[in-house]
Amino acid sequence: MTGPEYAHRFVEQVNESNLTLFLSSFVEKVETGLVIIKNCDGIINLKCKAVVVAVGCRERTAGAIAMAGERPNGVWTAGQVQKWVNIYGKLPCKNPIILGSGDIGLVMARRLTLEGAKPQMVLEVQKTTSGLKRNIAQCLNDFDIPLHLSTTVAEVVGYPNIEGVYIAKVDDNMKIIDATKEYYPCDGLVLSVGLIPENGLIKDAKMNNKTNSFVVNEYNETSINGIFACGNVLHVHDLVDFVTAESMKTGRFASEYAKGNLHYGVSHEIKAGNGVRYTMPNSFFEGSGEIEILFRVLTKYVKTNILVKDTDGNILAKKFVISANAGEMQSIKFKKDNASSDIVVEMEG
Amino acid sequence: MNFDYAIIGGGVVGSAILNKLTRLGKSCVLIEKESDVGFGSSKANSAIIHTGFDCTPGTLKAKLNVRGAEMFPEIAKRLGVKIVNNGHLVVGNDVDRLNELKEKGEKNGVKGLEVIDFERLHEMEPMLSNDIRYALFAPTGCIVPSYELAVAFAEEAVVNGAVVKLGFDTKEVTNKNGIYVISNGNEEVFAKVIINACGSGYNDIAKLIGSESYPLQFRRGEYYILDKNHSNVCTHTIFPLPTKESKGILITNTVAGNILVGPTSYECDASTKTTTAGLNEVKEKALSEMPSLPLRGNIRVFSGVRNISGNDFIIEKSKRKENVINLAGICSPGLSSAPAIAEMVAELLGLNPNEEVKDLKCLQKKIIMADLSLEEQNEIIDKNPSYGKVVCKCENISLGEIVDAVNSPIPARTVDAVKRRTRAGMGRCQGGFCIFSVMEEIAKAQEISFDEVEKDALGSKIIQSEIKPSGGMAEWLKNFISMLSFWVVVQAEWLLHWKPKKMVRQLQLLSVKINLAES
Repeated sequence: MTGPEYAHRFVEQVNESNLTLFLSSFVEKVETGLVIIKNCDGIINLKCKAVVVAVGCRERTAGAIAMAGERPNGVWTAGQVQKWVNIYGKLPCKNPIILGSGDIGLVMARRLTLEGAKPQMVLEVQKTTSGLKRNIAQCLNDFDIPLHLSTTVAEVVGYPNIEGVYIAKVDDNMKIIDATKEYYPCDGLVLSVGLIPENGLIKDAKMNNKTNSFVVNEYNETSINGIFACGNVLHVHDLVDFVTAESMKTGRFASEYAKGNLHYGVSHEIKAGNGVRYTMPNSFFEGSGEIEILFRVLTKYVKTNILVKDTDGNILAKKFVISANAGEMQSIKFKKDNASSDIVVEMEG
Repeated sequence: MNFDYAIIGGGVVGSAILNKLTRLGKSCVLIEKESDVGFGSSKANSAIIHTGFDCTPGTLKAKLNVRGAEMFPEIAKRLGVKIVNNGHLVVGNDVDRLNELKEKGEKNGVKGLEVIDFERLHEMEPMLSNDIRYALFAPTGCIVPSYELAVAFAEEAVVNGAVVKLGFDTKEVTNKNGIYVISNGNEEVFAKVIINACGSGYNDIAKLIGSESYPLQFRRGEYYILDKNHSNVCTHTIFPLPTKESKGILITNTVAGNILVGPTSYECDASTKTTTAGLNEVKEKALSEMPSLPLRGNIRVFSGVRNISGNDFIIEKSKRKENVINLAGICSPGLSSAPAIAEMVAELLGLNPNEEVKDLKCLQKKIIMADLSLEEQNEIIDKNPSYGKVVCKCENISLGEIVDAVNSPIPARTVDAVKRRTRAGMGRCQGGFCIFSVMEEIAKAQEISFDEVEKDALGSKIIQSEIKPSGGMAEWLKNFISMLSFWVVVQAEWLLHWKPKKMVRQLQLLSVKINLAES
């Protein structure tokens, strides 16, 4: 199934429901019990019992990575190129170079190839790719597009239009090695250098600097009562399956909250341990039942166990993984019946 | 077309001159080779109205800066450009030099200067390094969005009858019976007097006119812009002690709420590229002043080029050609001096800068939704619903504001021209979301196709071509036949090595590749 087909199933569900929709509407302000929106009808105050924030993420730009060189026409983010190609049917470049091996960059390498452009190469500054293995195989290998690891753009050349880039290897500290500079002509530079949760809407919530987003409890509720978050605004996902599951869960919790049925109890933290970058959620309440923890690992692991431990070192849950790498989200379920302290998620070995 | 005055170069100085001469009732034309006014150095600088304390007393720079700074608050108000009196600080531990600077400033006529101590300084700027003990405080210092200023100067002139020719690349200047003929190869403009305000292109135009050339030197300055989230970093413009080359790497708040950090200063060609070394220098020096400066929150880096000719501005009547005014080497504090330079040019032309004609029109007040209260926004949306549709979510810019910009007295013709007028695309996503609507509105207003819309400079078309066209029925048939023939081959192979998944995959790929090869 294609992405639009998948999304359309939900569009149909919404259309068949009796939900009131405010499209082309901008949220001016969110607080507990109140959402103020602006659209062509004016400013509208919406009173509500619970709010779910699902505004997604934005792409990092050339400015954000302090790209050196000229700032010509032709340096775009992968998402911009995606919209021009997929929605408008236009090509902004014919022989681009792609910087960053994020999934949108990889998908765009394939899309551009199919639509008549010839991406020359994909550069990744890290030692490993940040995209899914599946995308490397299906988007690059299948179309003979070379991937250069530990390589980045040292300088953009050309004004007013991009004419080429100097690419260079980087050392272990991500410093450019000048001796390896090489010039490649190109008519576009497509950036897929990371996604940032669009967290500006809820300014007062407690933030997690690992995910660049909110700290949430097991109901995906932020530190502000009644404001929930899910999807890429909470943490950047790579698979829509996780997004769907997380959103359904959050929606259910939000509606239980609105009915006053949500159980709060003694709260304990969920911490990121050895080899784990962050966990989602960040805390849980004592009680019974099972919760699923989503997390990302820091480096590549092969044939090892994911462990959930309490502060005394007792193992509460264990899951074997054949391989885990930084680009792919991991999950583990654990029964909280026996947990009465903070817990740590870690990789064995 | 016949004019009294032709100003070549539509930077902030050229636009200010156009504005002044038009207000004195003269018929004027502004000739700019780029796609918008306020290009070049006018859009890439520290956006500061200096007070004039560090100019050498007796120079044009000192005189014009102090006068310009005095004039600015009123002019900005008239033009509808936001100006903020944030106050400037020169920080350092060398009290003697700070006192010297203060004396110099007082000699230049700068008011309110004082040297302040640790306690007061750190109360004003708590994030400053504790190693910094003193500062010279210039309370009259201001900040202003420089690109908006050039546009506003020129637009107000247009409203009062001036003509602005954009994309007019001057190729030839001749003099017929005392009238200058300025030509770009297709079009001719006639004027009695030429004012050369071309910035880095000064000598090129001087050569065409036959007026004096001056040795021009370029010094590049690189900057970081930080996200509005970090607007609490500082509330003043913080300079280090100036050196001979520049005013040093400063940290300043901006009118829009971003933090600006920079610039470097080194000799270069006229290109505005940034370098890793330069950006690292900005980082290092800024962090030494403010160790907790969140430079990771940067949303954009850029650089601008100062045009320098000797130690002072050159603003004079040409001695080699009659009725030509030369303006060269207008580096910092050129922005701060712009209105005073315009006055001086008027005087050089034998006009009294105070004798403005009556019944001058003002620019229509811009609607800026982000600055309004919810009630005020509601009223405006009630009258025109397009102000309720947000296009740029980072900066909260509505469709109505974009429509205003592409239909303003000098219509924004490019994506970046819209950005400079409305801020759509200046936020943290840098136009990632709004560029499409902006392109659509430009196409509508200019009556061109979506594909013709340019990013910024002339010739910077964003769209290169259509995607590969679908071949229709013929292509479908061709594909079908080629698929069939491969199917036969694969079937044969299938019998030999039983790897069905791989086979199917290869088959799919082959058909795709055949398609690509054919295209």
